[in-house]
Formats: sequence, structure tokens, C-alpha cells
Amino acid sequence: MSRTKITAAIAAAALIALTGCGANASANNPASGDDFPKKGKSIDLIVAFGSGGAVDTAARLVQPILEKELGTNVEVINKPGAGGQIGYTALTGAKPDGYTIGATGSPSVVVSPLDPTRGAKYTRASFEPLGRQVIDPAVIAVQPDSPYKTLKDLLDAAKANPKSMTASTTGLQTGEHFALAQIQETTGSVFAPVHFSEGASQATTAFLGKHVDVLVANVSDVTDLTKQGKARVLGIMTAERSPSLPDVPTFKEAGYDVEAGTVRGYSAPAGLPDAIAKKLEAALQKAIEDPTVKEKMSALGLQTSYLSGTDYEKFWAGQEADFKKVLPLVQKKD
Amino acid sequence: MDTLNELLGGFATAMTWQNLLFAFLGCLLGTIIGVLPGVGPVAGVALLIPLTLNLDPAGSIIMLCAIFYGTQYGGTITSVLLNTPGEASSAITTIDGYAMTKLGRAGAALTLAAVGSFVGGTVATIGLVFAAKPLGELGLLVGPPEFFALMVVGISLLVALAGKSMVKAIISGALGLLISMVGIDPVAGAPRFTFGMDRLLDGVSFVAVIVGVFGLSEILSYRKNAETPLVHAPGMRSLLPTRTEWRRSTPAIARGTGVGFGLGLIPGMTGSVSSLLSYAAEKKFSRFRHQLGKGAVEGVAGPETANNAHANAALIPLFTLGIPASPTIAVLMGAFLQQGLTPGPALFTEHSEIAWAIIASLFIGNVLLLLLNVPLVGLWTSILRVPTPILTAVILLFMVIGAYTINFSVFDVFVMIGFGLLGLALRNLDIPLAPMVLTLVLGPLMERSLRESLEISQGDFSVFTSRPISAVLIGVGVLIICSPLLKFHKPKALTEDPEA
Repeated sequence: MSRTKITAAIAAAALIALTGCGANASANNPASGDDFPKKGKSIDLIVAFGSGGAVDTAARLVQPILEKELGTNVEVINKPGAGGQIGYTALTGAKPDGYTIGATGSPSVVVSPLDPTRGAKYTRASFEPLGRQVIDPAVIAVQPDSPYKTLKDLLDAAKANPKSMTASTTGLQTGEHFALAQIQETTGSVFAPVHFSEGASQATTAFLGKHVDVLVANVSDVTDLTKQGKARVLGIMTAERSPSLPDVPTFKEAGYDVEAGTVRGYSAPAGLPDAIAKKLEAALQKAIEDPTVKEKMSALGLQTSYLSGTDYEKFWAGQEADFKKVLPLVQKKD
Repeated sequence: MDTLNELLGGFATAMTWQNLLFAFLGCLLGTIIGVLPGVGPVAGVALLIPLTLNLDPAGSIIMLCAIFYGTQYGGTITSVLLNTPGEASSAITTIDGYAMTKLGRAGAALTLAAVGSFVGGTVATIGLVFAAKPLGELGLLVGPPEFFALMVVGISLLVALAGKSMVKAIISGALGLLISMVGIDPVAGAPRFTFGMDRLLDGVSFVAVIVGVFGLSEILSYRKNAETPLVHAPGMRSLLPTRTEWRRSTPAIARGTGVGFGLGLIPGMTGSVSSLLSYAAEKKFSRFRHQLGKGAVEGVAGPETANNAHANAALIPLFTLGIPASPTIAVLMGAFLQQGLTPGPALFTEHSEIAWAIIASLFIGNVLLLLLNVPLVGLWTSILRVPTPILTAVILLFMVIGAYTINFSVFDVFVMIGFGLLGLALRNLDIPLAPMVLTLVLGPLMERSLRESLEISQGDFSVFTSRPISAVLIGVGVLIICSPLLKFHKPKALTEDPEA
């Protein structure tokens, strides 16, 4: 009997001790600008995605320079789950004292509050945007042996025979899905979306195996495929040509007004005192525009495209408006 | 012979003392991560990537690869000794592994698992060296419809795992499917069974469920018979497998290599699928299939070989196509990118020295793992000498840490505890746990591929029968499901004894 009791007691103690660790020891004194950040008090940088991913990599590149600029520790904390919703909830729920900031990316951060069934507890207004880091424009590509040589060929064919071609996305209401919806809205060309909810690698695999006709992806996903001659990129959904794919015309050049892509930046919870916001913004700008960071980002196929907090906020609002317009198209259940 | 030359060049790089040290450290860390229940290869590799950022590219990738396949072996240890899977892909090993421990054959089980892992890993690496390109292309043939058909074959093996009662097996399998449904619907985007909790939007964490159902329920069930001592630690002499055990393991290792290698080539497959299907293959084809579940070596050697063969084969799509075939490989790919290396065919032209050094290190790593683990078998089995109260407390501690580190959230700890209670209930009702693991692993993959297939065909079900590979696989699945029925109708005198 005594053994049983000892087991139970130790087990209970272990459980209590560990669950206790989870309780959030959050900051309790609101900072007033000048003394921000306090020496030895670290800043949490919440990444709403797993480690090793593109968002996480960008944050970890920025982190050492942020530390230098702010003179305190910056810790990257991964809170993955529910397409970013878990991390965004944690970020917007934190105290707006500057000691918690986070990486925010669209479409995830823009889209999740638009769909009421997902029960997101935040909106655009819950974030204080601090700066935009990169844009990864969307592209449309076909098989190397496809009869379609130009963007116009492809879109005309999809308009004449709606849904005759399958196109990959990385899941419902992802950047790729919105890009398809925006193409449909502007050009009337309709593709049959196939949602690969596991992400870009699954979509690319299915495209390489010729199980889907059209690959919708980001520039960073197709740079290498183009070099290998495994995909023919017909158009890029951005205002200017991408340095990674200089031969690919933009949708604008072909006469279609479509801009889409994945965007990443950094934000704090809304209600941050101005003085603190200024300090964080300045440090972020230094880090984002740091030459070595930029170089490493472009090695990943990502073009740095800095915007200040105010401009990032405007951009965000513009994207939200774009997405709201085509929301019915991406909500339709096929 | 160019390949051989470059491989030898790779060995030259990989054999420098720094790189050998990295490979050794990786194997050791991987084994430790594998031993800790709940801390899986994904978390393990991801946590260590920041540490390797400042190392040179070859060294850091060699170390991370070693961690990755080291975890596959480490997971076996707790599965066999404590009935607590260290990794999801070792869950199925608990059945016969722990039964062997109860029979005093823990040492043999661990040794055979190490040897099987070595064989599986080495064969897969040889495939990577000499036939990477065609093998990578082969994996691409498997589109969503073929993937779905493969899952049908997998689910049909529930029949093999049934044991005494088919009804109980189906109850267990259905529970697994139900649990795997929780979360955002992958296609329509609607939340399912989340009860308004955003923590549940991603579903319940598979690792927390596995650790709870197998590990925690095992510990909870000690209470009932705490007076009877746990299994005894085996003596030194019984650490090595007997001749019979070696002979019986050989075909199981061969089958495990085949299953793991084949499935590893397919993007989207996980190591758990390989080990489960390898176990099911043993149930179907082994000459000693009637002993499975009672401590048969085949039930350890097969799945453990399969998951290591899978881990190494999964690197083939990464090297030839630049595609991460599984979540762990995706994390590994992130490490490549952070070092400025783009996985894919370009790696062999732009950084061929590093590419071949990494491949050479896979051979070295597999040898290191064998050298590291066989002598350590004695040490691991001595864990069983620790008094039960202390041992269970320590295991519990690690399970809680493991569950917490999945997403750094306490929620998963409660999930683990909840499923521990469920596991206890199932044990008391004599409902087998294996079918539940099978459906938990295969259910989401099956759903996803079914719906992707139907999106490709735009709702036409003939997509599964009009493509040759998927038609054959579906046929095989149907045959397996029907096989017990056919036997049932045969007069007893006509059924041949398979062992005669």
C-alpha cells in the first residue's frame, strides 16, 4: 500500500509543479517610454508558426539586431496552431507595454477574423503594426509541356472552359486561394481549386507528379523549380517584376489588374504608448534593412520591402478590403 | 563510377574529427530526444536548429540529420522497456516489445531493434546514393488518388490487428477516427468538434494522445496491482538475442526495410504509417503471426526497421526534388535554407562536396547508432531496476514535459491526462489499442487524400478505379477486408494450416 501512496504523491507533485510553470508571468508595470526597455527585462517576439518555417526564420534573423538596437534580450517564442490564430490571440491578449511583440503575416492575420465561424477574438484594430518586412508575390505556373505559353493563353482558356483546369492552393482561404479568387473577380477565368491543406510542399509535389494542371504559389516556392525547368511561370501578381524571376511578366503588363501575395511584418498589441512604439519601430527598421539580413532573406527567395508602421497599417487595411470583396468566392464550398 | 568517387570524397569530408563529433553528438542527442516520451523529432530538430546556425554548413546538417534518425531508434527504448512510446512511430512496438520485456527478453528486443534500424537505414541510404533520381520520380507517381488507395489498404489491415474480437477492434478504430476528426475541416474550413475552443482548431495533438493512451494509462494501471513487482531486469547473459530470435527476425527486418523504404519515398507519408503497416504485414505474412502480441520478435524487429528505413528514404525526395516529404524533413529543409543550401538537384551541382558529405555521414551515423546502442542495451535495461514508485514518477515527469513542449501549452498536458484516463478505461474493457492508433494515424491522411482526389476529378469517384495504381491498391484493400469472411464460409476441413 505504501508504495502506491508514494507513487501517487510524487506523481501529483510533479503534475502540480509542471502545470504551475505554464501560468503566465506577465509584466506588471506599464512602461513610460524613456526607461523602455528596462535592462534585463526581455522582449517576447511571438511567432504564430512553428520553428524552421519562413516566418520563424525571418524573425530569428531579425532578432540579434533587435537585441543590439534595444539593448535587451529578445526571445523568439513559437506559438503555432490554427493557421496562426493561437499565436495572434496570444499577441493581442498580451499587455501593450512593448515587452510583447509578434510577427504578423497576411493573409492569415487578415483573414482569420473575417470568418465568424473561426471565433477569432481579435480584429485588425487589435494590432498596432510596427513595420512590414517582406512581400512574397503570388505566381501562376503551368507544366513545362503545357500548350499555354503566355498568361493570356492560359486565362482565356480558363475563361472559355471554366473549371476545366485544376489549380493547387495551400488550403482554403490561403494566399493562393485568394489569388485565384482575385483572378476570377478581375478576369472571369475560373480554375477548379484543389486545396492541399498540408502546405506548399504538398501542392508542389502534386504539380510535379502532374496531378494538377496549374500551380499557384509564391515566388520563393518556384524560383528553384524554374531553374530546374520543372515549371513554366506565366505571370507574377505584383506591380513590378521580381528580381528572382526577371523574365516573368507581371499581370499588369499583360493587362490584368491583379496583385496578390504573402506579406510579413511585425506588430504589437493595440494600445502601445507612442514613445515605446517609436522605439520599437526604429529598431525594427534597422533590423529589417540590415544588409546581412536582407542578403539572407533574398537567399531564401524573399525580397525585403520595408514599410513603416503607419504605412503597413494602411497596406493591411487595403488588403482587408480586397479580401472582403472576394470573400464570398473563397467561402463557396465546392 | 563517378558516383563512387564523389561518395568517397564525401566520406573524406565526413570523417574529419569535427564532423565525426557532430555525427556522434547528433546520434546521442537524437537517442535522448527519442527516449523522452512526447519530445519528438520535429520538436527536437527545431529546438536545436538555432544552436547550429553558427556552425559550418556540413557540420550542422550532419548533426541535424543524425538527430533526426537517432530519434527513430531512441523511441524504441521506452516502448520496449516501459510500454510508453518515446515517439509516435514506435507506438506499435509497445505491443510485442513490452511483452518481450515481461518475458525477460528486453535486451534481445533492443538489440534486434538496433540491428534492424541499422539495416533499414543503410539500405535506404544505398538507394539514395545509386538510384535517387528514378526513386524520387517514382514517389511522384503517387498522387492523391493513389495515396487514398494506399490508405484503404492500411485501414483494411485493421482486420489483422483485431485479435480476439472484431467488434472491439472496430470500436477502437472508430474512436481513433472520431478523435482525428477534431479540428478545422481541411477542405471546407469549418471547425469540427471544437466546442468553441480555439485550442482545438488544430485538433488534439497526436503525440499527446499517444503518450496518454499508451504511457499514462500504463502507469495508471499499475495502481491496481502495485503489490506485484514490475518486470525484472534481465541478467547480462540474456541481453543478446538467441539464434532462433536472430533467424526469426531476418525476414521481419527484410519486410520492414521494404515497407519503410517504399513508403518513405512517398511525399506526405509519416514514419508512423510505415511502422504500423510493417506490423500489420507481420500479422499477415509472418510464419509466427499467431504469437504476435505475446512477445514475438517480429513485432519489434519489423516496425523498428521500417521506421528507420522510412526516415532515411524520406531524404530521397528532399535531395532529388527539393520536396520535404514529412514534417520533420520540412524542419530539416529549413535548416538547409538557413545555411544557404537549397535542397534539390542544384545541391549536387552547386555544393556537391557538402551534399556528398551529408550522404556519407548517413552511413557513418547508422554505424555510430549501432555502436552506441548495442553496448548501451545493458544500461537501458537496468532502468528496470529502479524502484517502481520512483520510476513511474520520473516517467510521468517526462510525459508532462513532453506534452507541454509540443506547442508550449498546458492544454496538451490536459489532453494527455484525459487520454490517459480513456486508455485506462479501454484497457479495463479489454479493447485493443492498436486499431485506434492505426485509424488515428491513417484517418487524417485518408480524409485529406480522398477530398483532394475528388477536387481533382471534380466529384467523380471513378478517379480511384480509372488510374491503374490506385485501382490495384483498392482491389488489394477489398480483398484483405473480405479475407476473414471467405475463411468463415469455408468448411473447416478445407482450410490448410499455414504452418503445416
